[in-house]
Parts: sequence; C-alpha cells; structure tokens
Amino acid sequence: MSNVKKLIITAVCIALCVVLPMAFHAIPNAGSIFLPMHIPVLLCGLICGWPFGLAAGLAGPFLSALITGMPPMAFLPSMLVELSVYGIVAGILAALIRTGKPILDLYFSLIGALLAGRLVAGILNALIFRAGSYSIGAWVTGYFATALPGIIIQLILIPAIVFALERAKLIPRRYN
Amino acid sequence: MMHSAILSGHYLPNDTPIHRLNPRAKIISFFTLLAVVIITRSTVGYTALGLLLLSLAHLSKTGPRIVFSGIRRVGLFLLLIFLMNALFFNGDRPLWEYAFFHISVGGIAQGANVALKVIFLMALSSILMTTTTPMEITDTFAWLLSPLQRLRIPVHDFALMISIAIQFIPVLAEESETIIKAQTARAAKLDSPKLREKANALLPLVLPIFISAFRRADELALAMEARGFRGGKFRTRKSSPGFTRLDFAALTISIAFCAAAVILHR
Repeated sequence: MSNVKKLIITAVCIALCVVLPMAFHAIPNAGSIFLPMHIPVLLCGLICGWPFGLAAGLAGPFLSALITGMPPMAFLPSMLVELSVYGIVAGILAALIRTGKPILDLYFSLIGALLAGRLVAGILNALIFRAGSYSIGAWVTGYFATALPGIIIQLILIPAIVFALERAKLIPRRYN
Repeated sequence: MMHSAILSGHYLPNDTPIHRLNPRAKIISFFTLLAVVIITRSTVGYTALGLLLLSLAHLSKTGPRIVFSGIRRVGLFLLLIFLMNALFFNGDRPLWEYAFFHISVGGIAQGANVALKVIFLMALSSILMTTTTPMEITDTFAWLLSPLQRLRIPVHDFALMISIAIQFIPVLAEESETIIKAQTARAAKLDSPKLREKANALLPLVLPIFISAFRRADELALAMEARGFRGGKFRTRKSSPGFTRLDFAALTISIAFCAAAVILHR
C-alpha cells in the first residue's frame, strides 16, 4: 500500500474517532460500554503500521475532545496514552506475527494490543494521572470488568471489518 | 441529531476581531487560557474566566447559545461528576453522613470545581473552533510542531492527516446518520435494553460506515496520487501574515490572565 493511501486511511480513522462515538450515542449507554473510539485506532495500526496507528491514537481522542467535548479534557491524557499504545502495538504485532492464517495473525495482534494498552494506561494512572488514588481493583474494574462487552465487540467487529475491506479490495490481502 | 452535535464546534464564517486574529496568536492564547482553566479553583477566578468567555462569545458574534450548546449534551455526565464528588468525597465541614455517603461543603465545592472546569474547557474549545478554519488550525499545529522535524518526525504529514480528518468529519457524520436511519427502518434494535440485542445491532451499523469511509479514502488517495502528490517537504503553503497589534493584545490579555491565576492560586 502506498504511503499516500496509508496517510488518507489514517485521516479517515481519525475522523471516525470523532464520528463513531456520536453514532454509538444513538444506542443508549453504548458509548461507554462498546468503546467505539478504540475500533478505528486498532484498525489503523493493523492496516497501516505502527507510526500511523500512533498518529491515529494521538489525534483521534484529541480532535474528538476539541470538537465534541468527549472525552472530557480531564480524562484525555490517560486516553491518549491508552489509544496510542493500541495503535503502536497493533501495528508492530501485525508486522511481526505471520502464522500463515490471517485470522490468527489478527487475533494475536489485537489481543496483544488490547492488553498492552490497558497495562500501560493502568501503570500511568497509578504513577502519574491518578497517583495515590488508584488501585489494582480500580484498574481491573475500569479496564476489564466494565469494558468486557467492549472488548468482546472489538474482537468480533475488527476481524469482520478487516475481511470485509479485503473482500471489497479497499486494502490488500495479507497473504496472496 | 448528529449534525447539531457537530455544529457547536463548526467554523462559522464572520468578520469579527476574534476571526481576524492571526491563527498562531489565537491558538497560543487558547493554550494559555486552557492553563488558566486548569489552574483556577476559586470563585473570583471562575467569575473572571466566565466574564472573559462571555466577552469572547460576544466579540466573536458566536453568542453564548452556540458556545455553551455542547454542554447540554454532557449535562448528565456533569451532574454525575458533581454528585460523585458531593456524595462520596470525604471533605471538610461535613453536613450529613450515612454509611459511605458523606455530604460536606468541601465535597460540594470539589464537585462544582470539576464540573466548572469541564464547562469552561468546552466553551473555550467551542470559541476556537467556531472562529478558526480547519486549515488555519492544522497549519498552526504544523508550525507549533515544526521543531520536531529535527527529530525526523513528519510534522507536515501529521498536519495534512488532521486537515483531511477535519474535512471528513461532517461527510462521515451525515453518512452514519443515514445508515442509522436505514438500519432503524429495518427494525434494528438499537434501543433494546438487552446487551446482546444491542451488540447484534452494531455489526450492520458499523460495517457499512467503515466500508463507505475506506471507499472515500481509496478514491481520495487515487486522485492525489494521479495528481502527483508527494506530501511532506514537497508541499507548498500560503505564508502566514505577521502579528498585528490585535494579536499582541490577545497574547498580552491571555498571559496576564495566566499570571493572575498563578499568583491567585499559589
């Protein structure tokens, strides 16, 4: 895929970081449960590589906060870190893992990215953003228990979107 | 539905002193005032900030209705933040206590402090976005980030991405709205209280949004490559006009506010 196309796909993913949460607000409580902003960032990392995933992870939440006021500025720093790590790790793992089966590559990269993002965000919350008032219990509840429907949705939706995009010939197939 | 959500942060063309400000001066002032909102925690500080924001809304002819319209969408969230702090924060001067509920003057003040910060940050963002074009914002960000070019970070590509993203937002929002309406007409259970039904309704909603967005990206990339676009250092841009007295006045006022906030809240 050319660099220009990667650039435009990243721009579209950043735009979707603003649009998808608004679309999900049509479904009551869906925004907080299904974590819609994570999907374009993870996709961008998987399809375009880690530098573009990082750009989407940084610009997506920032632009959304600026335009729609969500996420509120108070939660923005930890979200920026979490989403940037998703984008970077998804891109790195997608480049490194080549099992020969696209679905396995996708799942390994996705699960690795989801774990790494939550781990780094938890560490930074404990050390910087909410130092002194953050516990492992709060981390498990916030990033795993409450987010479980969102994690399941991401694990179902993202491979489905990648394969649909491949079938539509909008992105190249992983193995020919 | 979704369009009204965007409108609070959409550029509104006009010829006002705030519109005429050099975008660089405007964005530096914006970040300085952002620091003021973060530092402020007293009644005097919030009153002064509120008056300043109302004056900016009046000067930019945006009006308080548009500036504060985004706040209505997050009203429930703000109420929740306020109640969480007011009911659970173990502050000084307790008023009422029962089990793990502690209502205190300190808790109420803490809740009001957080809610006011969110309101002022949103109002400030709204004034910037309604008076500055997306292109001006991205060019200014590229200028602000230009020292990073020495570290071989592709600042111009990043600015271009943001600029394209901003231009894509209304298009994709409109398309998403159409898709939601179409799926609702096909009896998608978007408002079902059951999590499983909600999740099932998501796939037919999200897939078409992504396919349509990537198709647009594909067409745009093809058009740009066909016109020989190479990006980065090869891209040319309109030079930014110098600072005028108005720009220096805006910078002085915002820096004065920041200095006063630092002194007041030492």
